[in-house]
Order: sequence, then C-alpha cells, then structure tokens
Amino acid sequence: MTGSALVLDGVGHAFGGFQVLSGVRFDVPKGGLVGLIGPNGSGKTTLFNIVSGFIPPKWGRVLWCGADLAGRSVEARSRMGLVRTFQTPKVFEHLTVLENVMVGLYRKTRTGIVQAMLRTSASRAEVLSMARQACAVCEQFGLGSFVEKVAGSLTAGQRRNLELARVQVGAPELLMLDEPSSGLSQDEVESLKASLRRLNEAGLTILLVTHDMDLMAVAQCVHVLSAGEIIASGTMQDMQRNPQVQQVYLGVD
Amino acid sequence: MVRHRIASIAGVAAWALLPTVLPVHYVDLLVFSAILAIGGLGVGFLLGQAGIINLAQAGFYGIGAYASAYCIVTLHWSAWIGLAVGLAVSAVVAAAIGWPILRLNGHFLALATLALLVIFNALFLEWDWLTGGSLGISGVPKISAFGYALDSPRKFYYFVWPLTVAIFWLVANVTRGRTGLAMRAMRDSPDAARVMAVDSTVLRAKLFVLSALLGSISGTLFAHYVGYISVESFTVERTIFFLLAPVIGGLRNPWAAIPGAIFVALVPEVLSPLGDVYRVLFGLALMLIIMLFPAGLLGRWARSDGAH
Amino acid sequence: MTSDLVFQVLASGITNGFVYALVGLGLSVIYRGSNVLNAAQGDFAIVGAMVTVVMLDRAKLPYAVSCVGGIAAGALLGALMERLVVRPMLRRKATDDSMLLATVGLGFLIAAVILVTVGKAPFFLPQFGGEKSVDLGNVTVQRHALILIATAVVVVGALALFYKSTHLGQAMKAASIDPEGATTIGIDVAAMRTATFVLGGVIGSVAGILQTPLIGVSFAMGIAVTLKGVAAAILGGLVNPMGAVAGGLILGIAESAAVLTLSSAYQNIAAMALLIVIMIVMPNGIFAGATRRGG
Repeated sequence: MTGSALVLDGVGHAFGGFQVLSGVRFDVPKGGLVGLIGPNGSGKTTLFNIVSGFIPPKWGRVLWCGADLAGRSVEARSRMGLVRTFQTPKVFEHLTVLENVMVGLYRKTRTGIVQAMLRTSASRAEVLSMARQACAVCEQFGLGSFVEKVAGSLTAGQRRNLELARVQVGAPELLMLDEPSSGLSQDEVESLKASLRRLNEAGLTILLVTHDMDLMAVAQCVHVLSAGEIIASGTMQDMQRNPQVQQVYLGVD
Repeated sequence: MVRHRIASIAGVAAWALLPTVLPVHYVDLLVFSAILAIGGLGVGFLLGQAGIINLAQAGFYGIGAYASAYCIVTLHWSAWIGLAVGLAVSAVVAAAIGWPILRLNGHFLALATLALLVIFNALFLEWDWLTGGSLGISGVPKISAFGYALDSPRKFYYFVWPLTVAIFWLVANVTRGRTGLAMRAMRDSPDAARVMAVDSTVLRAKLFVLSALLGSISGTLFAHYVGYISVESFTVERTIFFLLAPVIGGLRNPWAAIPGAIFVALVPEVLSPLGDVYRVLFGLALMLIIMLFPAGLLGRWARSDGAH
Repeated sequence: MTSDLVFQVLASGITNGFVYALVGLGLSVIYRGSNVLNAAQGDFAIVGAMVTVVMLDRAKLPYAVSCVGGIAAGALLGALMERLVVRPMLRRKATDDSMLLATVGLGFLIAAVILVTVGKAPFFLPQFGGEKSVDLGNVTVQRHALILIATAVVVVGALALFYKSTHLGQAMKAASIDPEGATTIGIDVAAMRTATFVLGGVIGSVAGILQTPLIGVSFAMGIAVTLKGVAAAILGGLVNPMGAVAGGLILGIAESAAVLTLSSAYQNIAAMALLIVIMIVMPNGIFAGATRRGG
C-alpha cells in the first residue's frame, strides 16, 4: 500500500482553558521516517498521547490508512500495528530481558487462559516461538548477552534498547518514538540513529518526536512544533536554515 | 536429574505414609491445609502475578460452600451440580462486581473487595432461607470418589491432596504461559502493557473470576468435608488466612501457597492452649512480612536470580 | 409506614452520620497528612471505646476520666502506628498497596488483641446525659444523640480552627503539602506526620466513645466502622477533611433509607454498596464537580 499511513487532520487540544495544540496537520508516508521537533512545552507529548490513543483530541482527527482512529483504545491501536515508546523507557521491572521482549509479541499471538492451563500443544508452541523470536531480536539490539537478567537492573541505555526491541519484535506498522534519546550518552545516540536507519530501511514507518537536533538528522522530513502549531516543515537542513525555527530555538538549544 | 527423581518419589511416598503415622487430628489439619491452599492460591496468584489484592475471598469460599450445601441438603441435587452452581454464582458475581471495581487503583480496589466481603457476610446472615442464617446448614453428605465414601479425614486426605496439586498445576501453567507474561507486564507497567495490546480491563476481570472460582472450589470441598457450615467460617478471619498463606509462602512462586497454607492451618492448633492468641500472631506475621518487603511484596528485583 | 417512623429512622441515621463523619474525618486527616489510607481507623475507635470501658468497669474510674483515658489510648495508638509501622515503610518506599495491607494487618492485630484480652461479648457505655430522651415534635431523640452531634460539630470546628490558626496546625498542613519545602523552613516533617496520626487516633477514639452507648463495642467491629468512614471521607473528597461531615451525613441518611425500604439488616449492606459505587463513580467526592475516572 503506498501513500500516507498516518494523517493528522487539524488536530487540536486544550486543558483547563489552555490551548495546547491547534490545527496540527501533517502526514507520515508509508515507509517514511518523519520527525516532529520542538522545544519543551510545544505540545509534542500531548500530540503523541493523542496519536497513540492515551487521550482523545478535542478537535480534528487522526487517520490511519484512511480510517479515523476516533474511539479506538490504546490496545486496539496497538493491535492495528501502532506502537509507541515513552520518554522515560518503560520496562517490566521484574521480568527478564527476554520476557520483556516476548511481551512485544502478545498482540500477535492468540492462545488464552484455558489453553495455557491445559498446556495444549498450541499454547506451548506459541510460547516457544515467542521466545525464539524475542531471542533473535535481543541479539539485534545488543541485549543478547544478558537475556536472563532482570530488567530492573539495566542501565538507562540498555533500557532504551530493551524498549525498542520490545516494540519492534512484533513487526509493527508504525513505530512512534517519544524522546528516545533522553538520558543517552553521545555514543548511545549514534547507536540509536543507526538502529533507526536500519529499521526504516527494512520498511518500518517511523514517527520520531524529539528536541534533540542531532538525532533528528535521521529523519527524511521534519515538522517543527511551537506553542501547539506546526510552524515549518521540510528536511532537517531546511529547518536549520529557517529563521523562524532558529528563533524558536534561540536559548533552548 | 536422577537425584530430583529420587527426591520426588521419596516426597510422594512420605506424603502417602503420613496419615498412617500421624494422629487423626493432624491428618485433619493437613486436609484443611489442602482446602485452604486452593483458596489461598486464588489470592496469591492474583496478588503475586497481577498485583491485585482480593480481600473478598472468604466470601467466594462461602458462596461455594453454601451453594453446595443448599443444592444437596435442600434441593437434593447431586454434589457435582452443587459444585457447578457454586462456581457459576462466584463467576457471575466476580465478573459483575469485578468489571467496575478492577479499574480502581491499588488501595481503593483492596478496600472495595473488603466491602464486598462485608456485604457477603451480611447476606449470609440475612438470607437465612438459603444459608440457615446463624444456624447454618448441617447434614452436608460426604462425597464419594471412585465408589469410596470420603467419610474420614484419612480418606479425604488421599482425595484432596492430588486434587489440590492438580489445581495448582493448572494455575501454574497459566502463570508460565502467554497470559502469565501479560499479567506480570500489566503489574509492572500498565502503560507499556497497554501499548503491547494487553487489555488490562478484560484480563484483570478474567483473573479475578479465576481467583473467585478457586475460592469457590475451596468452599465446596470444605462443605463436603466438615458437613456443617455456618457464617462464622466466612468472615474476615478466613480472608486473612487466604491472604496469609501465599504471603508467608512467598508471592513469587504460586506453589508456595501450599507450605504457607500448612503453616496457617497448623499454627492455631499448635497455639490452641492459648485460645485465640494465634490471631495475634497472624496479624503480626502479616504486618511484619509486608513491612519487610514494602516495595511490592516481591522484593526488589534481584540482580542474579531470575525473574518473578 | 408512618411519617413518625420515617423521621425516627432518619434521626437515627443522622446521628450515625455524625459518627461516620468523625471516623471519615480522622481518615481524611491521616490521608491528607501522610498519603496513607488507614484501614485500621475503625480499630482506633474500637480501642478508644474499649479502654474507656475497661477503665470505667474494671478500674472503677469516673466516666470523664475513663473517656480521657480512651482518647489518650487512641492518641498513643496513632503515635505508635506512625513510628513503628508507617515511618519504616515510607523510608523503604512502600507502595500504596503494601501500606494498605499493612494497615489491614494492623487492624486485624488490634482486633485479635482485644479478643484475647476482653473476649467476644459486646460492651456498652453509659449514655451521656443519662438515659433521658427529648421529644422534638413527634420524634423521640436520646439526649446522648444530641450530645453526640454537638460534640462532633465541636470537633470539626476545633479541627478547622486548629489547621487555620494554630502554629502546629499550619506546620502540619505545610508538611503534608510540600515536605521538602517544609523541611527547608525548619519543620520536622516526620514529627508532623506523627502528630497527624495522633490527631487521627484522637478523632477516631472520640467517635468510638460516642457511638458505644448506642450500638456497643466489640472486637470485630473495626472493619465495618473503617469502611463507613472511608465512604464518608471519599464522598466528601478525601483530601478535604471537612467534606467528611457531608459525606457522613449522606451515608447515614442512605442507611436510613435502606432500613425503611428493606429492613434493618440491610443497613450495613447499603453502606458497603454505596462505598463501592462512590469509589467507582465519584472517587473525588461530590464536591469535585464532574465525575472523573480515577481513584
């Protein structure tokens, strides 16, 4: 399927009289790597929460492959293939690294409580398959040497990789990343950029939200959000030369 | 592996021989432990795996017991139907009440289940046409397994323990499978779980129903074992037993509710010369264990040992 | 059903409502001051009443002295709870669930101790103002009930004044709103928390003493009292202690309605059902405006 995967059509939101977003309009083409950049307080997180389904927009629509997502829960959107990460990586503290990644395959698997109870061959095969796939993905994200380690004991960079592995293992349709570089060292950011390029080249559609200009270099198209509105769109180079964008970032960089 | 095999066989042999060497009194307590363990498993897996506190378990225990007793003694139906009715009622109540209250977070949910228990207790007393009120129901007949009437502690012992182990095995399978992963994920980070399509509303409701079913089975077995049931067996004290068994045994491993249940069943007996003092001990034990593991009763994640 | 009966039951409900208001007030004070939902609050009431009973019946002390003793017991229990249970748990970053379970355990422990020391039978206290009644129109109200209501109102008023006008009250308030800020201006946050629990214990034991002449006291009553207090507190908005008064009255009147339409056995059932419903539908209380999800 060609064309736009995700379309934001006039999305707006307000809390307690304060207008957080207005008339946000852009799209993410299938197979694209699109970035949303803006200083803190520009409404990026709210926009992200709206697209991923955590809050409904007061105005406008979010369309996925032409269909309006209104009313669809976070879980429903996830089943459709829209997954996201969080600004502070959320991992399952008491589960091992492998188990964390296996959860990423939950939405692709079907066996239920009764089948698990009776240890049917279907349920056992499914769990084995989940473990195998998870193991393979752990290798890709550099987690292979400590798959049995409990997630709560990982460093920030490892948690970030773990979260990425988990959201990616189920071959999502759209991967939404919320400030993925926060808390990472320079080397880790480079490694993250490489991972994102690799995933995108393999066909994954990515929407990236960040205020880190360096990370944004991986994006094909960048939209700049300021005070709830898109003020500019284009390639990263264009944005860096755009006077309006520079103004918004003065003192914040 | 061979050593494990030998240990297991020795363990089973020891279990089988116990009733022949122990006084009947203790066999009786071990039967009660097995019954308690099932209800305790219900509370334990829900708390340890999913992070949900079910303080209403004594109520579901009562529903199972009264359903069986009423169906047999008053309606003259078979024991199987009594069991089924108990399970059905518990499931319906758990689903109906669980659906709205499971959205509540942590301590409010616990209080809601406690309120539910108070409602159950009041209804058990008030609906005396069903439960016999404060007089209870007596004359619940013994059940038969494979043609043998289970009319002594020893016979019941040989029946109930394999049953308990089978039930534990079934629930442990759930915790080891895909659903178990989802439960623990939901417990550790509800947001991240949602993003992985773990529908916590539905899953929590299903798990709560499972917990209630375990309480109900426990109650049915209890009714058939003791033959006479009254409302005193279904109060907060019993709910604390169901909570204490897995807490003492350890919440990480669902099987640990068995040693916990044995402890809970034996202590009142051992302390019986001192009357109700065991309750003081239980209250203290509950508090101390919780205070020692305040960060969620699972302890902090351990660096070297595996998960959960 | 005559209107006399209706008013009679209603009067009883309002009287109960003030007791629930006090229990809810104590709960709310503790919650606002330390974020702990105290499942043993009802047991504070029971302890206060029991100590009063023991001092009166066994030690043969004057009633007033016994009441003071009961209140002191409540205060002491609150202080001990904070020092021995709450503080160590907070230091270890206990979750809300763990804290609640610990208070449930504490409540069970207190009930067990009472059972072992004084037994199962319920005890009563003499009514305040003698066993006399007052006729208000067609309704007969015990003098005790009127004194109960007056006392409750005084306690609520005193509490409001305490938080607003006294140094200690303001310090406690500051410590709960912003512990770090409070520390920087020299407030001992831990001590303020102890004071909060002492206050909760005092209010709880007053409630217990006031209700015992009417309905008695026994070891197992703690849970129902706690849950009704929770209902009152939540109805009034957990973080607004004064709201617990409105909450308590609503609960008391709802119970009366259940007693009138169903039977007296349904009094507790109605209260518990109401608690569950309000936790789901209006967890922020009736004064919070729109019904928001949460809790």
